[in-house]
Amino acid sequence: MKKIILLAVLAISFTQLTAQKQFGTRNAKVSFIATNDEDVKAVNNEVASRLSDNGQLSFSLLIKGFKFEYAEMQDKFNNDYAESNKFPRAEFKGSISNIKDINFTKDGSYKAVVKGNLILHGVTQPLTVNGLITVKAGKVSATGKFPIVMKDYKIDASAVTEKVNAEINAVYQ
Amino acid sequence: MKKWTKIIVTLVLVGTVTGGIIVYRIFTKPHRDVTTETAIAIKAQQLFEAFKNDEATANAKYLDKAIEIEGEVLDQSSNQDGQSVVNFKTDDAFFVINCTFKTNPGELKPGSTIRFKGICTGYIPDANVVINEGVLVP
Repeated sequence: MKKIILLAVLAISFTQLTAQKQFGTRNAKVSFIATNDEDVKAVNNEVASRLSDNGQLSFSLLIKGFKFEYAEMQDKFNNDYAESNKFPRAEFKGSISNIKDINFTKDGSYKAVVKGNLILHGVTQPLTVNGLITVKAGKVSATGKFPIVMKDYKIDASAVTEKVNAEINAVYQ
Repeated sequence: MKKWTKIIVTLVLVGTVTGGIIVYRIFTKPHRDVTTETAIAIKAQQLFEAFKNDEATANAKYLDKAIEIEGEVLDQSSNQDGQSVVNFKTDDAFFVINCTFKTNPGELKPGSTIRFKGICTGYIPDANVVINEGVLVP
């Protein structure tokens, strides 16, 4: 019995040792632009992201961190549309479904199919993004683009746009 | 001129002027300038504890407010748009106060104690509190 427990403990600690290499950043970049008006765009450079070489991937950002070129738009976005006092954060948690195709120890660009859930404006929706993982001299980065339809997240921004295109760029440390 | 024509012309004029003012306001309203605001002074460690212990209360107190934070520099880096970023230490090795400068503060040495004034955008659990659009306080 003792042997079995010992073996189990060893097995667990061994898998943890081999499986987990984590990459992280506190300053990934997420931007979006309205599909019908290119003046409506914003950037957030304070996005926290973690990527594990087992495929787990997360992004977390603060809605108030989106900077618009025009202050009036920024206020409207925060107060009327995204309601950032009520819903201060947006989060994505998911995983890379084709993680076996990605070699974090070898330079290259790898297509990554990321599947997970996006929580925005208090609404959770499944999201799949075709992204790109780049490994260069031990540095890992991730990029991806995807559309966000306002009504999917119960955001009433119909006065401005029904849809924005979002873009992610994370350079991990 | 007929009465109706007058009314329509007046309405169109009023509409054009109002619309013009709205558009003018959207494109000319200045961004917040934290240097002209009175800030809440707090230590990096205290700000971290406030959010860790009770996020809702801390949000009510600090979210969107001008904050003047004092603490020890853990590291300095640049974001993808070339702005300087400083992380302040807390007693949790995985948690920092992440501060982005709008004006370049020059080199800030890890271990030195500095004061930074900016706008608090909130709390990301297990990662950091974010303050941006900030400046170095001499």
